[in-house]
Amino acid sequence: MIQLEGVTRRFEGRAGVTALDDTSLTIARGQMVSIVGPSGSGKSTLLNLIGALDRPTSGDVRIDGESLARLSDDRRTKVRRDKIGFIFQFFNLLPTLTCFENVGLPLHLRGWPRKEVAARARELLELVRLGDRLEHLPDELSGGQRQRVAIARALSIYPPILLADEPTGNLDTRTGQDILALIRDLHSRFGATVVIVTHDPAVAASCERTVTLRDGRIVEDVFR
Amino acid sequence: MHAAGPPVDARAIVQEAQKRGRASSQRYEGLLQTFEAQGKTSEKRWIYERLGSYGASKVIIRFTAPPEVRGVTLLIVNHPDKASDQWMWTPALERDRRIALQDRSTRFFGTDFSFEDLEERDVDQFDYKLLGEEAVDGAMCWSIQSTPKLSRFSQYTRVINWIRKDTYAWTRIDSYVKDDVVRRLEHRDLRNLQGIWTALQTTMTDLRRGSITRLALDKVEYNVPLREEDFTVEALRRK
Amino acid sequence: MRLLRLISWQYARRHILRTALTVAGIVLGVAVFVAMRTANQNVLLAFSQTIDRIAGRTQLQVTAGEAGFGEEILEKVQSAPTVRIAVPVIEAVAESGLPGQGTLLVLGVDMTGDRSLREYDLSGGQDATVDDPLVFLAQPDSLIISKDLAEKHHLAVGSRLPLQTALGERPFVVRGIMEPTGLATAFGGSLAVMDVYAAQKMFGRGRTFDRIDVALAPGATVADAERQLTALLGPGFEIQPPATRGRQAEAMLAGYAVMVSVSSAFALFVGMFIIYNSFAIAVTQRRSEIGILRALGATRRQIRWLFLCESAALGAIGSVAGLGLGLLIAHATAATLSGLAANLYGVAQQASEVTTRPGVLALAVFIGVTTSVMAAVIPARNAADVDPVQALQKGRFQVISAQENRTRIRLAGVAAGLSIACMFATERRLLFYAGYAFALAAAVLLAPLLSGRLARALRPVLTSVRPVEGALAADSLIQSPRRTSATVLALMLSVALIVAFAGMARAGYASIVQWMNTTLNPDLVVMPSPRFDLRTTRFPAAMAPEIRALEGVERVQMFRFSRITLNGVPIMAVALEMQSVAQTTRLRRPVAGDIEKMFQLSAAGAGVIVSDNLSRRLKLSLGDTLDIPAPYGTIRLPVVGIIVDYSDQQGAVLLDRTVFVEHWHDDSVSDIRVFVARGADIATVRQRIIDRYAGKRRLFVLTSEQSRSYVLNIANQWFGLMYVQVAVAVFVAILGIVNTLTVSITDRRRELGVLQAVGALRRQIRRTIWLEALAVGAIGVLLGCALGAVNLYYVLDIVQRDVAGLRFDYEYPVTTILAIVPVILGAAFAAAIWPAEAALRLPLVEALEHE
Repeated sequence: MIQLEGVTRRFEGRAGVTALDDTSLTIARGQMVSIVGPSGSGKSTLLNLIGALDRPTSGDVRIDGESLARLSDDRRTKVRRDKIGFIFQFFNLLPTLTCFENVGLPLHLRGWPRKEVAARARELLELVRLGDRLEHLPDELSGGQRQRVAIARALSIYPPILLADEPTGNLDTRTGQDILALIRDLHSRFGATVVIVTHDPAVAASCERTVTLRDGRIVEDVFR
Repeated sequence: MHAAGPPVDARAIVQEAQKRGRASSQRYEGLLQTFEAQGKTSEKRWIYERLGSYGASKVIIRFTAPPEVRGVTLLIVNHPDKASDQWMWTPALERDRRIALQDRSTRFFGTDFSFEDLEERDVDQFDYKLLGEEAVDGAMCWSIQSTPKLSRFSQYTRVINWIRKDTYAWTRIDSYVKDDVVRRLEHRDLRNLQGIWTALQTTMTDLRRGSITRLALDKVEYNVPLREEDFTVEALRRK
Repeated sequence: MRLLRLISWQYARRHILRTALTVAGIVLGVAVFVAMRTANQNVLLAFSQTIDRIAGRTQLQVTAGEAGFGEEILEKVQSAPTVRIAVPVIEAVAESGLPGQGTLLVLGVDMTGDRSLREYDLSGGQDATVDDPLVFLAQPDSLIISKDLAEKHHLAVGSRLPLQTALGERPFVVRGIMEPTGLATAFGGSLAVMDVYAAQKMFGRGRTFDRIDVALAPGATVADAERQLTALLGPGFEIQPPATRGRQAEAMLAGYAVMVSVSSAFALFVGMFIIYNSFAIAVTQRRSEIGILRALGATRRQIRWLFLCESAALGAIGSVAGLGLGLLIAHATAATLSGLAANLYGVAQQASEVTTRPGVLALAVFIGVTTSVMAAVIPARNAADVDPVQALQKGRFQVISAQENRTRIRLAGVAAGLSIACMFATERRLLFYAGYAFALAAAVLLAPLLSGRLARALRPVLTSVRPVEGALAADSLIQSPRRTSATVLALMLSVALIVAFAGMARAGYASIVQWMNTTLNPDLVVMPSPRFDLRTTRFPAAMAPEIRALEGVERVQMFRFSRITLNGVPIMAVALEMQSVAQTTRLRRPVAGDIEKMFQLSAAGAGVIVSDNLSRRLKLSLGDTLDIPAPYGTIRLPVVGIIVDYSDQQGAVLLDRTVFVEHWHDDSVSDIRVFVARGADIATVRQRIIDRYAGKRRLFVLTSEQSRSYVLNIANQWFGLMYVQVAVAVFVAILGIVNTLTVSITDRRRELGVLQAVGALRRQIRRTIWLEALAVGAIGVLLGCALGAVNLYYVLDIVQRDVAGLRFDYEYPVTTILAIVPVILGAAFAAAIWPAEAALRLPLVEALEHE
């Protein structure tokens, strides 16, 4: 379960932007939620806070009842590492590592034995239908393929929460649909909580719940 | 020579004056005192012996005081046609040295005399001009200007000599560099000793430095028997 | 230009640290260049000023090497019509009994004639002489000292000043103080004037002078007088204007200057890599920016110019900063260099004011800018080649393609082949240096490939240390060969330089030890001064039989060292008793000739033995006839042997003592070597010698260990400079690694962010970076050690043929390297700490967006 309680995130700068303003939100386990809103409405900030990549200025974020605000950096990383998988708009694959290595990376970081890492990475890449591209470098793949590698990486530990930031934003419509189908498939298969930030109404519509943000506040919360 | 009447020629006056001072040898005990402008004084004593006279004389100066220089001996061999040769014996080093006297304008061992001032002048190296007559210390003198024929003969541009009309003795010599008097030599206490007019007190004033050196002569003897072989470098070493 | 301000300035401002580090490469290269040139120049300048001050109005100097000549020469010189004044001079170096003063240069002059040549400017009234010149001359303990010295030690006229002379310590009396002008300022005032005849006695010179200083008669030209005096005195005398003596100092420092050039070239080379690396990374990073510019209509040409101008600007900034730093370093090193030049006078030159010729500065800036621009040529071309469409896509990275690797290997092979071919033509210097360059080029070309291989080899090692981080670190190295190789290259080159310098120092040391073991083998060495290089105090020949007569002494050998000029080169003449030395030498392997025969012939006065370095300099071989000018007739003898001899850096000619005495009319002795009879106690004999001369002579009796350690100390002084160079190289290495690591870690901020996003703990990232840095350091050091082996070969050859003519055996400086490795690895580690922390401090969200 993901709980946000009165979360505010302000960015200090020349203008001092308030990206999220006193926002509360609860996402139940196993839900697939989309977050929509115009540029700068605070979507990505919300996602980063849930993913423990960022700290709120005030308020609290809780994952499965554990408050992130009071955790040290490394403890937050541990939460992230155990519970959260990330999918980025720009894939964020390491360009020097092969698909296989990229997928295995989170497992390596957890100190998994080589053999198990290899088995899991192969399994996941096959799952995203890239079983024949194990030794390719990200640069040698198409955008959709890269995003699939990123998804495989996000899934490497079978995380209970999967966060996706505009996963189809950088892809053409067909590939986007493809990726979305994959995410939905995984959601139903592993029962993970999925939070997708998107611009795309079609993507939003395919989720059971849609939260709309504007100027850092939730203006609409629709369950289908 | 004109023994009686006054010679008209300035050069002849100088020559006569030199001739009258001539003796085959001379010996005296000298006291040399230098008074610096700042009031510092120093004193040296020597015994002076000269064999021969103007032109080809040989001189030995033996310092007797102060104790630091006692035993230092100078041998000066004058030549009529070139600069004198000089040697010095220093007892502390037990050796003689040639004095590299190449610059005659150098001061003679911290006195107000330059080496040139102690030399005997060859009349032929200068042009003379009688400037007039003048009384110095109450005695009438000729005042005669001498100018070196070549500038390298002397450090001075010109020299004015005052020579007494009665005795042909020098009473005063002013040496000029350009238009300024830089050194003044005065002869006082003139005595006729063995027929030679001798100044027992000689004062040299260095007008640029403002210091005075006084030389007092004592026990002056002329024509004393001196041996030629004592006036050699070898003899210096023997002593 | 507007583009430059708009684009580059913004980039530089945002990456201020990286820009600074990039510039640092040029700063260092230029600084080393300027520092060494300036220090060199200033020592020479100080030296020539000293000569000027001591020479006063002297127009010509008459010398016969260092040995001097008889007094009668003075009258001969004075008799020349072109000579107005000729005064004798003796120069001696004496230790003063003044606390903290050390040595003084004692100038023995003839005050009666000398004052027209030198301005003594004595204190206490213009022209006031020494207190009393007659006293000064009459008392051999008279000294005139400089006001500086007087004030430093609170001395006044009448004060006592003890000096070490040939007759032991003597109390001298200050009889005059010179105002600090002219002569009194030479050697920073560490100078005393005494009567030349007193100096003869005090420094064991007999009736000789070192020199006659001449002022010309009015109207005579220097050339006329030179001709006339040469005709009058014969070929054994040198008649030169005083400034010529400066050329000897130049010759002494020339070898050093070559080494300095090598090291500043290396510094610039490394600087070039640093710049290349920074620009290559900048181009990759700014691909999208370049893409936008191109999309907006910038031509390829404009893009290229943008980068070249940027590098030129950085080069200029770096050069100017380098000038400043260089001058600072020059201050620091001038003292060391002075020590080298001191050999000519025995009193250290004080190069206190550091001034530089504008030419050197201009050249330095030119070199700095050119290097910088050259380093940017390839990245600029790459930038210009950026495809606007591709560039606008994010997240591309360049890897070295297999094709490129093949090309590199092929080129490296060609370069290596050429360099080996050039090795067969070492006599042709141009080809030799080309070979050197080819060898370096091959290494540079192969470095990325080799560093990849080594990184692969290191992977298991790293994973065994820390499985996760080690693997990550190794993979990062393997996967980004370009980034890795920049650091590796910078490090490799500097380590190669360290190996070369350290190897040279070590080889030199080993060779000198071997030489000492074969030739410096007497039980005791009796010397008139505590230093071998102070040849201004000597013993009379009569001392040798006196010592021989002592109980327990089996053999004595008289040695005389004297610097002479042969074919315009200042070399060392060593006069020794050949017959006796033949029986005691342990020399077995001469460079050329037969040991027995060479001693036999030279003992008979039928030949001379020359040192290896001299034979090389003057291209002498066995049987060649040598004309050695001496004051009493030229020595014309064949070379009967060539041996390794380190008596002098410039070369030495060994001849029998009788030949020397005959041609110099000088039988004084530099040192007496004593062999103790079998069964006699060396310490006892030593004491006997000391007792024999107690109170009569000042002497130093060194045991064989003492004399060896003494020689080694001198060697150390020379090699100390080598170690300064090593230090510069280490500094360059550290700078290189700090720079490249900082740049590469900064470059990877996003990557590190991703790692964190997918679950890497901070300490994991930290350790990964550390391990990576250590691995890069290790690879660089390893390759550097390998390249160093090649570099050492070349540097030794340069030293042998172009610098000192000294033949050193090749010996790899294992110990130095072992000492350097932890330093470099430590530096690598330290270099990684800060950028790693900076990367970790960056908020994750920002890092992920970082591009």
